[in-house]
Amino acid sequence: MTSRLSLTDVQKSFGVTKVLHGVALTVQPGEVHGLLGENGAGKSTLLNILSGVLSCDTGRIEIDGHEVQISAPRDATDAGIAMIHQELQQVPELTVAQNIFLGHALRKGLFVDRARQEAEARRLLASLDPAIDVTAPIRSLRVAQRQIVEIAKALRANAKIIAMDEPTSSLTPAEFEKLVAVIGRLSAQGVSVIYVSHKMDEVFRVCQTATILRDGRLIAQVPIPATPVSQVIELMVGRELAKSMHNSFATTRTVLKVSGLSRGRAVLDADFELHAGEVLGIAGLVGSGRTELMRLIAGVDRADKGQVEVAGRAIASGPRARIKAGLGLVPEERKRDGIVRQRPVTSNIGLPAMRQFSRLGLIRKGMLRARSEQLMKEVNLRPFDVARPIGSFSGGNQQKAIIGRWLAAGTEIFLFDEPTRGIDVGAKAEIYDLIERLAKEGKAVLFVSSELPEVIRLADRVLVMREGRISATLEATEITEANIARNAIPSS
Amino acid sequence: MNTIFKSIKFRDAGTLIGLILISVVFASLSPTFLTAPNLLNVLQQSSINACIALGMTLVIISGGIDLSVGPVAALTAILGAAMMVAGVPVPLAILGALAAGAACGFVNGALIAWGGLQPFIVTLGGLSLYRALALIYTGGQPIFGLPDSFRALTNGTLAGIPTPVIIVAVLAIVAWVILNKTPLGEYFMAIGGNPEAARIAGVPVVLTKLAAYMISGFMAAVAAMILIGRLGAAEPTMGTLWELDAIAASAIGGASLMGGRGSIPGTLIGCIILGTLRNGLTLLNVQAFYQLLATGIIIIVAMLIDKFASGAGGGKQG
Repeated sequence: MTSRLSLTDVQKSFGVTKVLHGVALTVQPGEVHGLLGENGAGKSTLLNILSGVLSCDTGRIEIDGHEVQISAPRDATDAGIAMIHQELQQVPELTVAQNIFLGHALRKGLFVDRARQEAEARRLLASLDPAIDVTAPIRSLRVAQRQIVEIAKALRANAKIIAMDEPTSSLTPAEFEKLVAVIGRLSAQGVSVIYVSHKMDEVFRVCQTATILRDGRLIAQVPIPATPVSQVIELMVGRELAKSMHNSFATTRTVLKVSGLSRGRAVLDADFELHAGEVLGIAGLVGSGRTELMRLIAGVDRADKGQVEVAGRAIASGPRARIKAGLGLVPEERKRDGIVRQRPVTSNIGLPAMRQFSRLGLIRKGMLRARSEQLMKEVNLRPFDVARPIGSFSGGNQQKAIIGRWLAAGTEIFLFDEPTRGIDVGAKAEIYDLIERLAKEGKAVLFVSSELPEVIRLADRVLVMREGRISATLEATEITEANIARNAIPSS
Repeated sequence: MNTIFKSIKFRDAGTLIGLILISVVFASLSPTFLTAPNLLNVLQQSSINACIALGMTLVIISGGIDLSVGPVAALTAILGAAMMVAGVPVPLAILGALAAGAACGFVNGALIAWGGLQPFIVTLGGLSLYRALALIYTGGQPIFGLPDSFRALTNGTLAGIPTPVIIVAVLAIVAWVILNKTPLGEYFMAIGGNPEAARIAGVPVVLTKLAAYMISGFMAAVAAMILIGRLGAAEPTMGTLWELDAIAASAIGGASLMGGRGSIPGTLIGCIILGTLRNGLTLLNVQAFYQLLATGIIIIVAMLIDKFASGAGGGKQG
């Protein structure tokens, strides 16, 4: 049988840096194929080559046994390859049908034939999610539904291969189940799916085969689920991940006291204390007010009432006052709220503490650089070059720089919102170690996480939020998935 | 030596090559172009635009735009001239005019930073407002009779170099130091690159924006002083379309109107490119209409080269 897609000896360099060293990928018709690797392993580059955003230096791409040249996105579309990007590329104000036919409008004479577009869109969506209204504007849809629309668009273009880049990063478990069903249907229709994800449980749910990349090299192609998870992770990371036990360094000294903190209906009367050396987790469903609570504490949003006390003193609102009091937020949406993309790592690290790095009004660049290098060495920044724009680093390494920012500013109370969102397995372990190290040094850590294993792994104590309120405080021995779930789900 | 080469950035080198190419063309077509007096003339003619463009570059880097610079220059020119004619000592009148420029910038900045209004609209309003104030105050008439002691300041030379050129060179060094060596410069680039991330990282966003517009207003006033010193009179209608030349020079020099990117040396070279073009075409007796055409083409060509030079990286959105 000829393979649906076969890539052989794909090489790609950016300047002097070689990012793909002769990678191969073979996907069968109707196969769901996982593409795994840490950030920086070359997955994105490979996807970009497949979708025509980048062209490879050498290498051969075959579809159904015929060689194809892909040098522009249009070539990829013509060859039957479609990409579902992590950030969906849609026009929010246009309708579902208009988005599906964007750039390929069905015409009647000079005019767009709306009725036929809508009928066709309905036909395409029928097997995916018939509940989607094709005349609704995209902005009124949930992310999961928008993804389905994107898949319908791929089918409209007669895609034989659909590549999905981290498709579940903003889906709920129920929506994930739906996506699994859709992928199953695609597969049954003979469409091949390339599934890129960091989440092992998902890969093991949906994929039949996985290709593992590391440092731009093909490491292995393994059958799933026949290969044990631990072996897959080992192949990805290239080393065994230490299975560490939870250590508590919590003291009884209160460093942060939140009382009656409220904003609109998002956060209602939040009361709790955080102690030096403690790692306090906040669990709850998406929309339960966790991120909003973090932003109130960090002073990013203004509270309607309530106060935040650090070491017994009430602190004024606004990020600057809170930073001065020793708080620092590592936000969930790194690109939007965390990094200044085009600036070097040093500038991103130095932002809150520019004064400290200045003398007579001038920044001491040497000192800023030395301190940045010292901090980034400790957290193993890769590649180790603090002069490079932060936007050119992988998510995990950007996260290390943002954490470094607060280390440089002398922050005592770290606020992490989804500390490992969009970060690969290897870097994840490093972030966990870093959080533990902070606690050991007597810093206080408050973190929000949607991943229960993460909460259980890190937290000394857990606050569970439900509909804007803290519904339970779980002490060490009570922290179990069942206890968290029971307190997180609204009783109706 | 090595560090000097490293500090000349790739993009600035590109702008410089553009300037050299244009100069080579004019030098081969006109024997007078490449003479010391003419080159000094180019610098002097570029100095007013350079003054405005330096402030504009900082505003653009911080993610804003200042369309009101021309009228601010006119208003401060009127105020400075009126004070001098009324017998206020020259240094005091100059300080007053510069302070008035910064005050206009403060009003722009306050509406943008505290009011949360869009820079384009606020300074578009300012464009009419400050022009109107200048016209109302003078009844549309120019103010003549500026003291010679004042005029000597901008008409003289120092070591053979016209004083306006020296003033602008000093201000350019100050602007470069602010942008590259001070926390304020980092803040300009941070709020231009990602305002929300900058705010969360503790950047004083309001103060930074105020500073950008106040510097721009101040620089407009400096430009006004240079011009009325040379003309010997202040007209309420002066400074028309200055904002567009300044934006063009910044953009040719590598500033991104999206914010977060720009260069002081680039902007200066951009000003000299525009000045050279006008000077060279005048030497060749090309009609003014065609000069305008050439300016437009240069701006667009510079942007196209920029786009293709950033090639692969520029294609990636988001």
